[in-house]
Amino acid sequence: MSIGEKFNEVYDSFFKKTWSPMTGGILLAFLAILMVEWKRPWGIVGGIRNWADWFFYGIGFYTEMPDHPLYHSGSMMDMGLLAGAWISAVLAREFAFRVPPMLEIWKGLIAGIFMGLGATLAFGCNVGGFYSAIQNLSASGFTMMIGLIAGVVVGLKYIYWEMEHFTPGPAGPTFLGNLPPFLGWVAIIGLIAAGYAYTSSEVEGAKLMPGYLLIGAGIGFVFHRSRLCMVNGFREPFMTGEAAMGKAVAVSIILGALGIGLLKFTGLRGTDLYVETAFGWGSLVGGFIFGAAMVVAGGCGSGSLWRVAEGQIKLWVVIISFALSNSLFRHWFEANEWMGKLGSAVFLPDILGYGGTFMLVIAAMFIWYLVIDWNEDSNALVIEM
Amino acid sequence: MSDIKKAPDGITANHTLDAKGLSCPMPLLRTKKEIEKLKSGEILEVLGTDPGSRNDIPGWCSRSGHEYLGEKEDAGFIRFYVKKK
Repeated sequence: MSIGEKFNEVYDSFFKKTWSPMTGGILLAFLAILMVEWKRPWGIVGGIRNWADWFFYGIGFYTEMPDHPLYHSGSMMDMGLLAGAWISAVLAREFAFRVPPMLEIWKGLIAGIFMGLGATLAFGCNVGGFYSAIQNLSASGFTMMIGLIAGVVVGLKYIYWEMEHFTPGPAGPTFLGNLPPFLGWVAIIGLIAAGYAYTSSEVEGAKLMPGYLLIGAGIGFVFHRSRLCMVNGFREPFMTGEAAMGKAVAVSIILGALGIGLLKFTGLRGTDLYVETAFGWGSLVGGFIFGAAMVVAGGCGSGSLWRVAEGQIKLWVVIISFALSNSLFRHWFEANEWMGKLGSAVFLPDILGYGGTFMLVIAAMFIWYLVIDWNEDSNALVIEM
Repeated sequence: MSDIKKAPDGITANHTLDAKGLSCPMPLLRTKKEIEKLKSGEILEVLGTDPGSRNDIPGWCSRSGHEYLGEKEDAGFIRFYVKKK
């Protein structure tokens, strides 16, 4: 094999072939740690809520001007994620706008509304409320996980019921599926140029934006390359028995918790980062609502966003509906000062110490890993159609 | 991970399921339901637009015992072929 052929083979394995979920999970943990090293934990819903806040401000419903989306940490992370996932999709020739049947549009709209409510109650979607919350050693991440699992079962039962009673109509068109891959490389250059542009900006906080944007883009790229999907991780053990995604998420959470936990332990980052007043019914009920809705939506916070970048119109509907609903619920809750009443802020090392907390995270994820791995052979948890 | 498996030329299906426009997990769920209508040894063709099906359908086949015969690219969608066990 010539060096040129080898180059093509390596190129294909990085940019065309799907990576294993475990590769995605490990790289995602690395990037989640990098994000905290840069400044703050990775999240999804804060960014899309910023965009929705602008919509309601624009139509005169909100009086207070939201942060500028180009200088808002969450917004920049989400833009990075979209860009990274789009780059991956274009390079692999997997980008295309795909218009679903009307039934799917309606499901996306309604599921998005419930996702907005769930993410308000739980102080975040599956990322901020669960994945990043556990990695930041907040007790609320575990209560949301319990809620998510229960919700996923309900969502799956709904889908089974729907399959018995409804047949989706004809799909809409698929278009723009032939974008040339070099556009992906142009976008990579554009991202780097945007990062440099911020370094000469005088706007307050501007020098933090390149990290949010570029690490966010790394996250989007990894998600799309590995098709890592937390909905899949929670749902498949009950649907087909498949455990690969769930195991990848479990390992990813452990690695991230060790990395981020040590940044807190050494005092490099504040212990209160991403420890919200959600431990209690807020994360439990919010997780349940979000879990059921994300199955119907076909994407969680992160999964919907990278599928937006792949051109799936159903997930466009989900993200728009989710963002608008979350903005309204959050606005309403804040106006009534309810956000502090959803539960208590519990930083696990305050109770268990850092050693005890790491052992709890590892034990909980190991049990989940073990159960779904066992279920892959036994199918004991699989709910039949 | 996955090399894309091409379906053999001239393959003919006994039954076709149109799952175009549907996103995860609906193409796989509809495939699971549809295959119940086939007799053992018959071939189901699934039309889809979700790239995720490239992992989901072969993965489900290897666990459920059905034989995954491969895919064919068509104009704006993919044809997947599954032989019922």
